[in-house]
Amino acid sequence: MSLLTANKIGKNFGGVVALNDVSLTVEKGEIVGMIGPNGSGKTTFINNLSGIYSPTIGNFIFNEEDITGFEAHIITGKGISRTFQNLRVFPNISVLENILIGLHCKIDISLWDVYFRFLKTRKIEAQAREKAMKVLAIANLSDSHDTLAKNLPYGKQRLLEICRAIVSDPYLLLLDEPCAGMNPVEMDDLADFIKILQKRGVTVFVIEHNMRFIMSVAERLIVLANGSRFAEGTPTQIQNDKKVQAIYLGDEGDL
Amino acid sequence: MKNTISGQKKPFNDLKNTKFKYVLNLAKNQKGLFVLFTLVCILLPNIITNMYYLGIINYMILYSILCMGLNLILGYAGLLSLGHAAFYGLGGYATAILITRYGFSFLPAMIISGIVALLFGMLLGLPTRKVRGDYFCLLTIAFGEIFRLVAQAWIGFTNGAMGIVGIPIPNILGWSIRTEVDFYYLGLMLLAFTYFTLSLLVNSRFGRAFIAIREDELAASVMGINTAVYKIIVFGIGCFYAGLAGSYLAVYQTTITPSNFRLEESCLMIIMVIVGGMGSLLAPIAGVLVMTLATEYFRGIAEYRMLIIGVIMVVVLLFRPQGIFGTSAFKG
Repeated sequence: MSLLTANKIGKNFGGVVALNDVSLTVEKGEIVGMIGPNGSGKTTFINNLSGIYSPTIGNFIFNEEDITGFEAHIITGKGISRTFQNLRVFPNISVLENILIGLHCKIDISLWDVYFRFLKTRKIEAQAREKAMKVLAIANLSDSHDTLAKNLPYGKQRLLEICRAIVSDPYLLLLDEPCAGMNPVEMDDLADFIKILQKRGVTVFVIEHNMRFIMSVAERLIVLANGSRFAEGTPTQIQNDKKVQAIYLGDEGDL
Repeated sequence: MKNTISGQKKPFNDLKNTKFKYVLNLAKNQKGLFVLFTLVCILLPNIITNMYYLGIINYMILYSILCMGLNLILGYAGLLSLGHAAFYGLGGYATAILITRYGFSFLPAMIISGIVALLFGMLLGLPTRKVRGDYFCLLTIAFGEIFRLVAQAWIGFTNGAMGIVGIPIPNILGWSIRTEVDFYYLGLMLLAFTYFTLSLLVNSRFGRAFIAIREDELAASVMGINTAVYKIIVFGIGCFYAGLAGSYLAVYQTTITPSNFRLEESCLMIIMVIVGGMGSLLAPIAGVLVMTLATEYFRGIAEYRMLIIGVIMVVVLLFRPQGIFGTSAFKG
């Protein structure tokens, strides 16, 4: 059974068809990439999957459970974490606190515990901090755990956002254009980081525009065009696919 | 529950412990200061023997409790509420009615007042799911005005504009609270309770969830925070303290009238929180101090008092947009 199955997902915004009949599967432990020209519906797909929108038609089966139309916080609880295309770290709090918010659904403390069992609360909070620091250590961010998130350099803010998403031990990690605005060195670091995550058992679904990055990271690529699934295959197959080249660069006949 | 997958490796369980300093190490160094401050607070009535000044300090404590509760809503969760006086009033009326009409003693009446304010706070928190930003603010103003008008018009229950008078001297387990000094200690205990419970809350995952909602609501929901529920919780808890403060006001003044809880009162609380600083637990107290001292000092030129308050606010916002002790989140 696949980790995630999307069945004929469709999404309309009024009369605009953003997604049409998109089906795909993601297997446990793989890195799947999704590419496509601007406006082809990649981010809409992730937004539907992570519960920010709910699909007009079709359903998502995650972990043998239908999660279509669940609210975002419930989907996170089921084990799907995501990052955003336009960087959404919490700017005015420290790096460590950002990560701790990412751990929110794993810190099992009720209001009753907060007020009446503060020894238990303190213990669990200390464990959470320890775990948060471990994750920061993987991304080489431990030294800046006390810095405000907005004061980090851009590439590190991107890493922080990914750390915040993975600290809750998700089964599936959705990355929405993680390379946007990064320089080539930061990009290579990020590619290494994603491969470390894979070794640790995280399944990654990544949307990206940067071909060099996605070709080096993804094991399987899905091409989206005009809201529909256009092609699927290994990076080499996709690179050599004449039809895919055509949707990016235009038909040879057009020249 | 299908939340587990067999053979799924937990990604970070095999790492060695990383050594790091706790963020709150700061608190240890300030222990001496804290003890000194507590001693001064306890001995203050021996230093300030003028009952008029002690009365002003009692009002400062009252407003500190109110503003710390409001700061939880405004500074932590980022929800602008201009109806805080209504919850203050709910607490006041609950205590007054319970004591004078149903013969309750003070302590249970105060607890019930807090809970009444908590429940109404949660009720007003409900629409935050659909109504956002400025529109929510308008809703809170409306709630505040409705409360005041009901208190004025429902003569059978609240005694209308005359208010409820002759609230007897409170008595807690044999301690009869009648002088300014007694009320000072009662207020101090309430303030300590407020600070202690609030610091437990804001240093837990709940406090962080409120901050996340303030910083970026969409990202907060993706972090697994049920934003709708958390906004209701924060509203309820913030209003709980307003209920306690109202209860204190009722027994301190021995009368309660609808004019105690006008919109101006809500605005004054907001101003105090903004001047003191949002998003940090004790910062609003600085605002209370500055604003109360200013209004008292300029009592002689009553008509221009509001002008001076306005000037203070403009100056603070120009030079320290985050308030006197606020966090950088509000730097603008």
